[in-house]
Amino acid sequence: MQKVTLPERPNWRETAEEVGFTFADMHGEPYWDESSAYQFSLAEVENDIEDPSTELHAMCREAVEHILSSDALIARMGIPEAYHDLVADSWRRNEPEIYGRFDLAYDGNGPAKLLEYNADTPTSLYESASFQWQWLEDQLAAGVLPGGADQFNGIHEALIERFRGLFDPNTDLHFTAIGGNTEDYATVEAMGWAAREAGMGAHYTDLEKIGVTKDGQFVDDQDRIIGTLFKLYPWEDLLREDYARHIAGSGALFLEPAWKALVSNKGLLPVLWQMFEGHPNLLPAFFADDVADALVAGQKPVPAVAASFDRAADAIRAGHVVKPLFSREGASISIVENGDVTETSPNNDYDDHPKIVQALATLPDFDGFHPIIGSWVVGGTCVGMGLREDRARITQDLSRFKPHFIID
Amino acid sequence: MRKRSRTVALTILGAASFAIAGCRDEQVQAEAFPDLATCEAQAKSEGLFTVDQCAEAFAQAETLHVESAPRYDSLAVCEEQHGVGNCGSEQDQVSNGGSGSIFMPLLAGYLIGSMLGNAGRGMAAAQPMYNNGRGGFTNATRTSNFNSNSGRGTLNSQQFTRPARTMGQAPMSRAQATSRSGFGSRSGSRVGG
Repeated sequence: MQKVTLPERPNWRETAEEVGFTFADMHGEPYWDESSAYQFSLAEVENDIEDPSTELHAMCREAVEHILSSDALIARMGIPEAYHDLVADSWRRNEPEIYGRFDLAYDGNGPAKLLEYNADTPTSLYESASFQWQWLEDQLAAGVLPGGADQFNGIHEALIERFRGLFDPNTDLHFTAIGGNTEDYATVEAMGWAAREAGMGAHYTDLEKIGVTKDGQFVDDQDRIIGTLFKLYPWEDLLREDYARHIAGSGALFLEPAWKALVSNKGLLPVLWQMFEGHPNLLPAFFADDVADALVAGQKPVPAVAASFDRAADAIRAGHVVKPLFSREGASISIVENGDVTETSPNNDYDDHPKIVQALATLPDFDGFHPIIGSWVVGGTCVGMGLREDRARITQDLSRFKPHFIID
Repeated sequence: MRKRSRTVALTILGAASFAIAGCRDEQVQAEAFPDLATCEAQAKSEGLFTVDQCAEAFAQAETLHVESAPRYDSLAVCEEQHGVGNCGSEQDQVSNGGSGSIFMPLLAGYLIGSMLGNAGRGMAAAQPMYNNGRGGFTNATRTSNFNSNSGRGTLNSQQFTRPARTMGQAPMSRAQATSRSGFGSRSGSRVGG
């Protein structure tokens, strides 16, 4: 893995404009940045990113089964009690997952480490699956990249296959996001476009325009009944809103399904560590409540995790990250090293949520930027990746998207 | 083995693209007017529509207003949805047989579509517009919001679907009137990550 400087495509800004990729610059900062790119070997991609991500997804599914077998554990995951059954039922009914994005710390040496799983509402789908792909094709055509250069990016085709495998041809699917957010809309549209290519009818409605009929079915902004709803809106928020009470009786299949609330949840990280302690792709992680006394006051962790905490204590004390169960774009995260808070995110939207602590992963440093690998899972298989880099160690919404290529 | 997709077309992003890329809904030229007089004045200068079309569309919007305006069971609920001073009783707005205890928003403009004349199959060439109580305007089904009641634009022909009849139906209570927007109230929170 290395970072290489490459000439930019002369017309990429016009291309971005033409295709409506209007957030290529955000807040006056470049978001899409092709002045350099990350280069990988095929072995790095296949052995260190692809296969481990597919395995991690399978482990997450085991963790869901485990969490649902324990009332005490479900209660720790921050799901409103009234909806525990909704979540459990969606799992028992085997409601299908479409996609997710692991965030991994990886520098080309040693195993990638799981930072978190955006399994419910991952964005940057459009730039990963489409714009990044176009960059590779253009740079191959221009001779900037040597013939034979490839990219780990079968995301779009995998999504088409996923929709085709799940639904009969011409099934009507609804897609929704909060109105007026270009970035979210791009992800929803990339998804809708894959569904349409799979032969489905794809309809978009703003989330806030969804209504409920007298019979309790959801309808879109044109009063069409919603049978299947892909929603780019987090379950932890949906379940705290007025219409949550209609979901179970609506007859609508939600995508991602409700059980993803347990996966796209930092509470998953300590659960995974308890189930698979020492796994090469996992970092030690604990619920903050279990280990706070030990970390801050020199007292003992709760008995249930005491032994495993002892084994990880040195690593955790040297450096750990405190994360709320639910947070997006790096909000309310802080880094603690040897007892001192060394970095904290300016956004504290999630400060009042329960938290977990996770051992600090060393992020690679390329020219002062810390890249994080987003590995995309479609269905149960890792099918592509995209990189974002940030000057800060906490990746935020101003991080830059970087294209990648493979050369062997 | 190749690690990337064989083709990934560039997609057009933006609010209309689902319609553009998909089962292509027809686009129509449309214009909004606050009242008949404005439409007629425009017709004499450089409007999309003639004076006769203004009158025909206005009559159609008025008919739809009587048949399909949102109806509420109290003035208060109506004013919550459409703004204070923007509602009246059905009795006052419907020429015969209206109820004094059912309330409707006042007609605040109308939208004319260029399919005027050949609108059929459940379509209407004109639609009534109402204040939405938030400085903008909405349609009879309250499913679309417009920034203004005057102006021109290209709209999806779905905007001209004939609204469901509300005359003779039970008026909406507060609970029913607010039975949209049950999702999305936490829109301050961000997705992604």
